[in-house]
Amino acid sequence: MTWTDLRQRVRDRSVLVFAIVVPLALMTVFNFVFADLEQPTPGPVTVAAAAPEGDPLAAVLVDTLRGLEESAAVPVTVETAEAEAVPEAVESGEVDLGLVVPEGFGAAVRAGEPVSVEAIEGEDAGIGGQVVMAVVHASLERFAAGTVAATAGAQAGLSPGELAAVAEEAATGGPQHTLVAGEAADEQLGPSASMVAGQAGLFLLFTVSFGVLGLVAERKQGTMARLRSMPMNPALIVLAKAMVSLVLGIVATTVLLTAGSLLFGVDFGSPVAVAAVIVAAVVATTSLMLVVARVARSEEQAGIASSILALVLGISGGAFFPVSGPGLLGQLMDLNPVAAFTRGLGITAGGGGVADLGAPLLVLAGFAVVMVLVARLVPDREETV
Amino acid sequence: MAETASAPARAPEGATEPVLRVEGLVRRYGDLTAVGDVSFTIAPGETYGLLGPNGAGKTTTISMVAGLLPADAGTVTLAGEPMGPRHPAARRHLGLVPQELAIYPDLTARENLRYFGRLQRLRGDQLRRRVDEVLELIGLADRANDATKEFSGGMKRRLNIGIGLLHQPLLLVLDEPTVGVDPQSRHAILESVAALSGEGMSVLYTTHYMEEAERLCDRVGIIDGGTLQAEGTRDELVRLTGGVDHVRVSGEGDLTTTAAALRELPAVQQVDADRQGLSLTVRDAPTAIAAIVTTATGAGMTLRDVEVSRPDLESVFLHLTGRALRD
Ligand SMILES: Nc1ncnc2c1ncn2[C@@H]1O[C@H](COP(=O)(O)OP(=O)(O)O)[C@@H](O)[C@H]1O
Ligand SMILES: [Mg+2]
Repeated sequence: MTWTDLRQRVRDRSVLVFAIVVPLALMTVFNFVFADLEQPTPGPVTVAAAAPEGDPLAAVLVDTLRGLEESAAVPVTVETAEAEAVPEAVESGEVDLGLVVPEGFGAAVRAGEPVSVEAIEGEDAGIGGQVVMAVVHASLERFAAGTVAATAGAQAGLSPGELAAVAEEAATGGPQHTLVAGEAADEQLGPSASMVAGQAGLFLLFTVSFGVLGLVAERKQGTMARLRSMPMNPALIVLAKAMVSLVLGIVATTVLLTAGSLLFGVDFGSPVAVAAVIVAAVVATTSLMLVVARVARSEEQAGIASSILALVLGISGGAFFPVSGPGLLGQLMDLNPVAAFTRGLGITAGGGGVADLGAPLLVLAGFAVVMVLVARLVPDREETV
Repeated sequence: MAETASAPARAPEGATEPVLRVEGLVRRYGDLTAVGDVSFTIAPGETYGLLGPNGAGKTTTISMVAGLLPADAGTVTLAGEPMGPRHPAARRHLGLVPQELAIYPDLTARENLRYFGRLQRLRGDQLRRRVDEVLELIGLADRANDATKEFSGGMKRRLNIGIGLLHQPLLLVLDEPTVGVDPQSRHAILESVAALSGEGMSVLYTTHYMEEAERLCDRVGIIDGGTLQAEGTRDELVRLTGGVDHVRVSGEGDLTTTAAALRELPAVQQVDADRQGLSLTVRDAPTAIAAIVTTATGAGMTLRDVEVSRPDLESVFLHLTGRALRD
């Protein structure tokens, strides 16, 4: 039964279009459109810094910037200059950024008084300039927070790790929103990866609908009555359709993730762990379509309902752009199978194995169980000849 | 097994047992009783017709017989086994031909047959042989490998029936198979049902065409408002109306005298005269007609036309319900 159904679906072609061609095309388009935004490559930055003599705190600030020279994020060259010469150096384009730490800076900070560091940004400072500015801001905040006083003016700058984090954050345009406030960095996907995962998750909903919604088509075609008159348990009819969904979903998602990672250079990690995420997501989405198949009165209704569900879950699951919600809403959104799918892939991409997938697998399995129960609660449609 | 594969399905030993026994079937939809207490049996090899107008409860009855629809009360027994939504096993004895086409448009005729054949638990050589036999029987052998969406309406109908025959069921159930069918296909369908019945298959056939019921069915149940109004062979049913024929004698002459003379004939029960001629109520008109013509001419009447009408199931339905079969 499943086999014959699969043959019909494949002969029908539309499943191929929806399950593989369209999502791959969308991935390509998105990757092209967002390429610049997604992979900012900061250019080299030259900074002219003027610090008052004998002010240890001012020296720390400048040293912090020098620390950036070693960090891989931005190639920074820091030159020491006289305060008066800084604006001219920037204007002439000799340096990209000028920084003037005023006299009495250290004393003012210690006394908790407001003090401003003058920063002059050149026209071509670019993203690299923003990175440097972000580091300066972070350092100033650190000073103001009183850390300096506690450590008695010793090495109070940002540690190399903190430095890298701040730089990374600035380079990627602000804090990375992830679907789930990741406890660890290994729950995050890069922009390309989350686009591939999100699109795969969104279209998974379309793909599995081809199998299970076949139940609605059978009712319309009149073949449901005939199937029900066969010497077998009617539950097998539903099971066969669910199998079609599972096969289509697993094949399509595997193809999408593989093609996506080859085309856009993404690595989702351990194939076994990825397979576990795929299977769990396919089961969860199939069970959702079972509910649609039970409730829908016509093929049109089923089609519309499944498309709406796919788009709502896909969008709120981050298929097009990162989405997160506060509080309860955020927690609800975590139960979204597309979000759980992306989150699972985030874990595998971060090097996680099956054992690390607890939360997303639990969400997907729980979702499947609830949906199957809901489907059973909806009274079965009666068939007449 | 001495029987060949193409031999028709036979009832089990002790063939006096009915193939189908329907007892006290009831089905309600809210306040509406679609089927109220319907009982009948079908013997091996018998063709049983359910004749009734639209909305009479035919499809509802047949859906319960086929085990699709749960009954509110009553039982269906097929080949001695209980039948119903919870009893899938007994369905192997049943071949269903739904009124609407129940075939897959994207599959070929052969693929459709193979698919449903497998679901009917036919396998391997047996499946291949039966598919070929049925393709031959329904005249689609040369189009077997074409997608059915390219078929004409008549070809689809034939395939629809063929699928119901694949596993040589004891009972073939057809729900108004000729509705919306062109006359030629209709003829072909009626022929094939008659042929199957001739081979010993039991058939349950619903229709609102009294000619079909008269032509095909050994026994007919007249159904209206969800209940069986009467049941029996055509002749038994006709007898319910009093079993009288009508003879219309048109012509000129002394109609009053002629009427009086005709009233003397033993077969003639009643004679009414009008301006154009006489209307007679007669027992067994074919036998009495010669005497009627002789008597009328003997009485000086010049005959223009003599018309005999015998009661049919239409008049039985009218007699039972006071309404015509097709409103
Ligand atoms: N699913 C249903 N819900 C409500 N009423 C129904 C349903 N199916 C049939 N009926 C009603 O039951 C009666 C019998 O219908 P049906 O068995 O289809 O008649 P027939 O096949 O003889 O035309 C009709 O009055 C019909 O309107
Ligand atoms: Mg009907």
